[in-house]
Amino acid sequence: MIAYVLRVLAKSAVTLFAIVTVTFIATRLSGNPIETFLGEGLTTEGREELIRYFQLDRSLWEQYLAFLRGVLSGEFGLSFVDRRPVTQVVAERLWPSAQLLLSSIALTLAVSLPLGVLAAVYRKSWVGSAVMVVAFAGYAVPNFILAIVMMLVFSYWLNWLPVVGNGSFAHFIMPTIAMSGVLIAALTRFTRNAMLDVLGQDFIRTARAKGLSELRVVLRHGLGNAGVTVISVIGLQFAGLAAAGSVVVESIFSWPGIGQLLVNAAIIRDYPVLQFGVIAVAIAVVAINAVTDIAYALADPRIRLAKA
Amino acid sequence: MIRLMLTTALAALPMAAVAQEITVGAANMAPYLDPGRDHSNVGSQFYYNSFDTLIDRDHTKLEPEWVPALATSWELVEPTVMELKLRDGVKFHNGDDMTADDVVFSLNRMMQATFPPYVVRAKDRLGNFTHAEKVDDHTVRIIAEREEPLWETLISLQQIMIIPEDYTKALTGDPDVAEDSDFEAFAMAPVGTGPYKIESFQPGERLVWTRFDDFWGEQAPLQKVNVVQIAETASRVTALKTGEADIVTNLAPDQLALVDNDPNLKTEGSATALFHVMIMNQNHPKLQDPRIRKAMSLAIDRDALNEALWFGKAVVPSTHTMVEMGALHQPDLVTFEYDPEQARALLAEAGYDGFEITYDTAPTYYTNGLLAAQAIMEMWAAAGINGKVQVKDKWSGNDPEMMARNWSNPMYFADPFGSFGVMWAPGGPSQSEGRFNTDEDYAEKWERFRFSTDVEARKAAYAELMERVKEDPAVLPLYRPFESWGMQKNVNWAPMPGHIPYVLDFRAGSISLADS
Repeated sequence: MIAYVLRVLAKSAVTLFAIVTVTFIATRLSGNPIETFLGEGLTTEGREELIRYFQLDRSLWEQYLAFLRGVLSGEFGLSFVDRRPVTQVVAERLWPSAQLLLSSIALTLAVSLPLGVLAAVYRKSWVGSAVMVVAFAGYAVPNFILAIVMMLVFSYWLNWLPVVGNGSFAHFIMPTIAMSGVLIAALTRFTRNAMLDVLGQDFIRTARAKGLSELRVVLRHGLGNAGVTVISVIGLQFAGLAAAGSVVVESIFSWPGIGQLLVNAAIIRDYPVLQFGVIAVAIAVVAINAVTDIAYALADPRIRLAKA
Repeated sequence: MIRLMLTTALAALPMAAVAQEITVGAANMAPYLDPGRDHSNVGSQFYYNSFDTLIDRDHTKLEPEWVPALATSWELVEPTVMELKLRDGVKFHNGDDMTADDVVFSLNRMMQATFPPYVVRAKDRLGNFTHAEKVDDHTVRIIAEREEPLWETLISLQQIMIIPEDYTKALTGDPDVAEDSDFEAFAMAPVGTGPYKIESFQPGERLVWTRFDDFWGEQAPLQKVNVVQIAETASRVTALKTGEADIVTNLAPDQLALVDNDPNLKTEGSATALFHVMIMNQNHPKLQDPRIRKAMSLAIDRDALNEALWFGKAVVPSTHTMVEMGALHQPDLVTFEYDPEQARALLAEAGYDGFEITYDTAPTYYTNGLLAAQAIMEMWAAAGINGKVQVKDKWSGNDPEMMARNWSNPMYFADPFGSFGVMWAPGGPSQSEGRFNTDEDYAEKWERFRFSTDVEARKAAYAELMERVKEDPAVLPLYRPFESWGMQKNVNWAPMPGHIPYVLDFRAGSISLADS
């Protein structure tokens, strides 16, 4: 098991390094912060002075080496714009994003697991069909449409819910739903299918034959086993959500999270913020993946035994 | 007028001391706050509430009318030396008394700049001032290199707002030395003398102002102002509707009706003191014949752009001038016009063979920028020019391949020098990027325009410069875009004509809240 964990971690480190390098090069090829945030009316002379000041006159290779040295010593540099350590800039934004992610995960699990089980158990009645229709519809609606429609209905027309920031519980409702919508749809369908697979297995018949209650059969033996496959999907989906899903939702609801920060940093080419922000998100994604892999191995002895 | 009476009446009420708080939903929050190094449209929203200049102007008036601020009086003791008497009893937000040393420090941080972001800002507009010096505790002198026709205009620039010396120097490193890192730290923890102190500042996210009780002038009308960045336009309008915001900035032209139709809301707006312009590269091998560039300019129906994109609310100029420029405003000059017939004739004369002329624009940087570019291509086509829009994020103004693109010429201060004069100076941004040429004749005209102490001489020189621009064009001002703010009905606020663009002026007399 330890060997397995170590291998997962090593793989994660290589992935991070690749992400960091690609980010470094891609941001520098696409433009220059001097032109994007220092405004108009710079003379060529003035521009050169600023390029020197921000140490952008060094070759790409030199900058990359300096950057790697920084990474290894835990120094990620200063934002070009507000000249604060990027670790601080990003850290301020991580917690609000994490809160939104956690509330979305909670909502997704709370809704889609019961729905998926319901749809599997009652697959032949209208209940199962209704669940699947709703899930299918949910899958087809992108989160920004969901967000805008909710905003229109619950804020613009009804004035029930606030649209700006993360100040109270009410602020969480629409962003959480917007973030979870597609995931709930996906996970409901997946849970249903995994349950159907499991419920057809021999050990379920055995459990029923033992005289266990139907509830116990479904939840303990059914969901208990279907859960193993569901875990891997959950991990993957949430990793994607952490990486990209929040950008649009954060922007619409002025959520002071990392998605908004990265979009701004990308627009003005604030390389250090962008680099460290991507690293932070990448660490989160890689961590979620690693945790998923490990949880998967814990839940399924076949995995950990086969790979160890 | 009604608003003025209402404001006056409200100010006279004895219960004006009631705590009043508003929230502003801004499309953009500044990433740092330092009036010295900033000349962006985002930053200019925020400085006037927290900082003072030595000389201010009456912002309710278009015509410059100078009023005392941190200096109570000023006079020229020599043609190149201005002496200013400082106001007594001025306090900074951190409790320090404002002294002559603070004033000299603030001025010299720009006039003798060493911090690169200051250097580039100071060079284009404060270049004629060598330094400031202290005479005694209440008196400072500012020394110019040459006779200066624009003393008050330049001394009231945002870039030389007054900041505290000891506080700034002590922010990092050696407390007795002004290091670059001190100025960088200042931009995160700014301190001024204005009526609102910056209670908290989250770059790119939020700014909280609270009333500064020790302000030297009339007390601020609001107890607290929260400025929150709401980047999405739809979210800003919704926040206004739900009451989460009392004022929102940057309403798009097509949303005005939405806000105005709501009985609880209203809009205010003005044509921004800034030109969206088209620039043309004089040195592009295919565009060296001025007749081609003249045709590119003459083929554009700017009034049609105004009607289609701005609902007719933008302002289309006949020359590079703005009404804010007072005595130097010369609306009678006709430098730019729409004449597709002449455009066609010039193209034929120049032997234009239908080669492609590219027009660069960023996808979203200028409001309506891409739409305008596409409309211009149609107008060019109608005159026989084969144009093509190139959408690119990267600035191409310094690229020798650039043929034409959009740009803006803001009015950094209310004088032609503050707009055309900075952008199109000999050796200025346009020339140094290699897309605009000047010669001795142009430089001589520019010098006369910049430094003549006689207003008529300056006007005449400016007219001559415009004639040069007309003969060999490198720029066409398209329009002054119309900028709008949405607000609750009980908020009495509107952009003042005497400010540079986008200033959120919440000082006494500039904003009030009606009881709702």
